[in-house]
Amino acid sequence: MAFNILLVDDSVTVRSVISKALHLAGVDINLLYQAANGQEALEILEAEWIDIVLCDISMPIMDGETLVARMGENGMIKTIPVVIVSSAGSEPRIQRLRDMGVRDYIQKPFTPERIREVVDNVMGVSRHA
Amino acid sequence: MRDQIVEAVSTTFLQVVEQLTFMFGEPADKGDIVDVDGEYILAQLSFTGDLCGTLSLAVPNDCVPEIAANILGLEPEEMEANSMAPDSLGEMLNVICGHVIMAIAGKGADFKLGSPAIGPATPAFLADAANDSDWLGFLLEENLVLLGLVTE
Repeated sequence: MAFNILLVDDSVTVRSVISKALHLAGVDINLLYQAANGQEALEILEAEWIDIVLCDISMPIMDGETLVARMGENGMIKTIPVVIVSSAGSEPRIQRLRDMGVRDYIQKPFTPERIREVVDNVMGVSRHA
Repeated sequence: MRDQIVEAVSTTFLQVVEQLTFMFGEPADKGDIVDVDGEYILAQLSFTGDLCGTLSLAVPNDCVPEIAANILGLEPEEMEANSMAPDSLGEMLNVICGHVIMAIAGKGADFKLGSPAIGPATPAFLADAANDSDWLGFLLEENLVLLGLVTE
């Protein structure tokens, strides 16, 4: 099954690296959307079908924590799984985000294998050799 | 910086840079740092929370596209790497900063990172940094880079 994936990060470098990592890892992608902050992400989430969100924490305009909270208030998008990809993932913050419904956390720097492991796990994909 | 903090910052910096850029580095001798010259780009990132302060990174202009290309998996000559070079340097500092804070204050530390500010480093700024004990020097594949940590 191919997924519609939304990347949310204010760094175009990170969006490019995650995009490459997803392809290198063999994640089956249908459409790859990109947003530079939480506000842009909300607009995409309300307009497009998104299967999973990969989101940074520290961003201008609207940060990742606020985006997760806003998604939780919107019945149309509250069930879309969110994975945090960040270097600012202290234990208290990750726990707070998990309590808010975030499904998993990927610490930067990451490997393509780590991205695939988390996406597969969250999306219920099983790979057999 | 006290010895333990210097050790934590130094080790963390070299590990993260290696993982992120596949570039290998080592701490620079004090003599190398004092002799710093040439054109440098300065990236600065503030952080708040259990630990507050600013982490700064000064990198030779010529080295920035190489760092960006390595992060992006491109050749330094490729235009995309050059146009994205400042953003890539900011992202590298962002990742270094998160790891440095946790190395110093522990994984239980709660903190927020600001947005990186990127711009040219003046010769006067570099000269001050080279003589400031809050700044460390590293040789990153023969490029002298400076890392400064100021906490409140």
